[in-house]
Amino acid sequence: MPAEEMGKLSERLRLTFAVSTVVCVLVLAISPLKDFRAEWKQYKRSFVKFAQGRPDTKKLLADYSPNIDQVWLPGMNVTDRCTTCHQGITQSSLADASVPQPFRAHPPIPHNVRDWGCTVCHRGQGPATEVAEAHETTLAWEKPILPAHYLQASCGSCHQSDIKETPQVARGRELLTHLNCQACHKLNNLDRASLGPDLSSVGYKVSREWIYKWLKEPRTVLDKDGNVTVNGYETEDEPRMPKFRLKEEEIKALSGFLSTQKAKPIETYKISPAIVAAWSKKPDLASQGEVRFRQMMCTTCHSLAVTRAGETKMIGGEIGPELTKVGSKVNEEWLVSWLRNPNSYLEHSNMPRYGWSDEDLYKVSQYVMNKLTDSDLLTNVPQLGAATDEDVKTGKRLFSEKGCASCHSLNGAGTQKDFGPDLTALGAKNASELEFGKAKIDRNLVSYIQAKLQDPVAVNPAARMPQYSWNQADLDAVTTALLSQSGPAQTSALQHLVVPKKDASFQAVGAFAGVYERYKCYACHRFNGYGGTLAPDLSYEGSRAQKKWIADFLKNPQTIRPTLILRMPQFNMSDKDAGIAAEYLSMAVQKPEVDPESVDARQFTPAMVSMGKQLYEVKYQCQACHTIGSSGGYVGPNLNNAGNWLTPAWIEAWLRNPQALQPDTIEPRRTFTNEEIPALTAYLMTQRVGIKPQTTKSAADAQAVSRGAGR
Amino acid sequence: MKAKLLMAAILLCSVICVLALSGCKKTAAVVAPDAAFGSYDTESDWNDSAKLVKLGYRESQGKRVFYQYCVWCHADASPAGPSNRSNVTPVPPLMNDGEKLNGESDEYMQNIITLGGSALGKSAMMPPYGKTLSPEEIKAVIAFTRAIAQPAYQKPGRQGSQYTAK
Repeated sequence: MPAEEMGKLSERLRLTFAVSTVVCVLVLAISPLKDFRAEWKQYKRSFVKFAQGRPDTKKLLADYSPNIDQVWLPGMNVTDRCTTCHQGITQSSLADASVPQPFRAHPPIPHNVRDWGCTVCHRGQGPATEVAEAHETTLAWEKPILPAHYLQASCGSCHQSDIKETPQVARGRELLTHLNCQACHKLNNLDRASLGPDLSSVGYKVSREWIYKWLKEPRTVLDKDGNVTVNGYETEDEPRMPKFRLKEEEIKALSGFLSTQKAKPIETYKISPAIVAAWSKKPDLASQGEVRFRQMMCTTCHSLAVTRAGETKMIGGEIGPELTKVGSKVNEEWLVSWLRNPNSYLEHSNMPRYGWSDEDLYKVSQYVMNKLTDSDLLTNVPQLGAATDEDVKTGKRLFSEKGCASCHSLNGAGTQKDFGPDLTALGAKNASELEFGKAKIDRNLVSYIQAKLQDPVAVNPAARMPQYSWNQADLDAVTTALLSQSGPAQTSALQHLVVPKKDASFQAVGAFAGVYERYKCYACHRFNGYGGTLAPDLSYEGSRAQKKWIADFLKNPQTIRPTLILRMPQFNMSDKDAGIAAEYLSMAVQKPEVDPESVDARQFTPAMVSMGKQLYEVKYQCQACHTIGSSGGYVGPNLNNAGNWLTPAWIEAWLRNPQALQPDTIEPRRTFTNEEIPALTAYLMTQRVGIKPQTTKSAADAQAVSRGAGR
Repeated sequence: MKAKLLMAAILLCSVICVLALSGCKKTAAVVAPDAAFGSYDTESDWNDSAKLVKLGYRESQGKRVFYQYCVWCHADASPAGPSNRSNVTPVPPLMNDGEKLNGESDEYMQNIITLGGSALGKSAMMPPYGKTLSPEEIKAVIAFTRAIAQPAYQKPGRQGSQYTAK
């Protein structure tokens, strides 16, 4: 090769070398530049700038370091670098909403952020150092931040009993229980749900046509605004029987099968012919029946559609089914038998067994059969006739295939278990573990749960889950409760943080057990944490109320709390039953610290009474919330009969510290002196009115009717 | 020839630079927002139920306390139906009454709730809640009051918004 060419080559080589060196250096230089411009470093620098513009710069920057900050809690599986950017979360001076994110302080919560980390509650990717990776779903990171609206789910993961700070989880759990979701799905930390009615003898109760109508349209529809309506009337509550997607021939077969269910003949009862003869011709039979219906306070548990001033609303309680059209549903013979003894037809029913006179039974059953009706209810139902063997065979198969058997038992078979998927770990699932099918929804857990709840078939065309119709608040509550079903704790340290659910139970003993079971006291009242929450907790009733008052009240309940529409039913209780209940409640359910014998009312002097009156009316102005005479507020109970109702020991203990006796009472704890407490007690003990059930009855009638329907 | 090579090299460099700097910017799936999605809880505006007021953690705890303890006398309707306001003299302010309450400082509100009306020379019908509610719960109620106030509540004094971060 000639030297000239050699020189040319080496020049080209040199040039190539020079260029590649420049490229190489540039590439190397990019790395520190990129590092300098890293997102988290920019936040670090802007926090310094931000802090320098505040008066408390020194305090804000006391812990500052230019490096990545990290909360590392190995036992809890927490490596959170969130504080790298969220540098002000523990700075109380940065609490105001005007402080820009990510520097704002965390709102004060019962847990210290430094001890818990962030992702335990908020989820997201703790170790990530970029905004998108920390907060959202990317290809490599699976846990997005939990939207603030569902954040209570994280509280619920550990707090398995409801706590007052998380009403949304509590509401969601209540709905899951109320709608008996556990019948098909495995779920944790819920109360035991009540079942759907046992259908073993349903053929005696309703017609095949009614069953057809019920299956086709369980009277629950959404109106054009998306509101849930029952029987065409708007309601706030999701009715418990959802809509199943059934074909015409399936409905026919199921209705045929069910109408042949007649396992146990009903206990028929013949109302005295003299009563029937005397009442059947009276024009006001039905309206008299309505009066009794209202007096007995059926609406405490059952709701009815009531039209007031052109507006129709469901009014009444939610413990039993709504009854607006029940007269077009059941047959009269069944109704009379049911009213007399509900448990003979349905063993697990919570309906109390009232004491009925033939007259009442006739009036009320005639009112129900003739007034609570809808002549159009079965208009579009074809005449189905008797069920064929084929119907029965197909219906029987469908009954278990469609999941009916999960809520309804048949002929003592019990209910079928685990029909739907196990949901106990649903809340911890990553998006990649979910089947979105063809649904056009965002690929994340919250959207998935909500789509499944609203329209199960849109997500999975083969879904067997029936159709519910939720309002937004309930949908969000149920979503939150499902998100809190996060499966077993990942580490033993986390296991120790779980606050387990307390199971409460209460066993009534002796003669009271029969009374307790007959009148289903537990459906509304709570005893040592067990039972309903509609009515006052009776765990300490023996310390609170006088025995004679309890017996009188059971026989003729009066309204103690003036604003209440849902009241204690009038059971027509016998003297014997009332006596047994009063004896038991006053002796056996007491607060040990409040011995009713410990304060003797005889020590109260007239001077104390007049001092108490002064304190009540002038110094403390208790009339803001309580009524004595005919004036006062109606936040607290009416005290007109306090002297006959309450024990002096209870009043004194209550005045000292109401929350010690009833933790959730709204009566504020005051600082009464040791002279004031007996004086107030003495004054309240002078408040007595005689209750004469018979003479006040007609007045009570008029009052009950006028009040019963208005909430 | 030389120039061409240089050009190519520079082009290559810039491509590498752009690629490297733009880095691994990912577009993430963002959850469709509805009105309530990003806030811990909401309360409908008392004067216009179509409008939702967003509540943070503290305000929503205040909402809970309010609807348990205060609603009876400081709202037009109570959970049981009618309001107890008409039974109380002087008539207590509605909790969203900005004209009355915006002028009162947080300290004053804290005191009257903790100590009751008579301790501050006001009506004894306002009972003290200092032994029933924790200071944090009382602060939460005040925060809720501020959040629902009509006209809207303005924090007195220095505004934090003049400080801007990134």
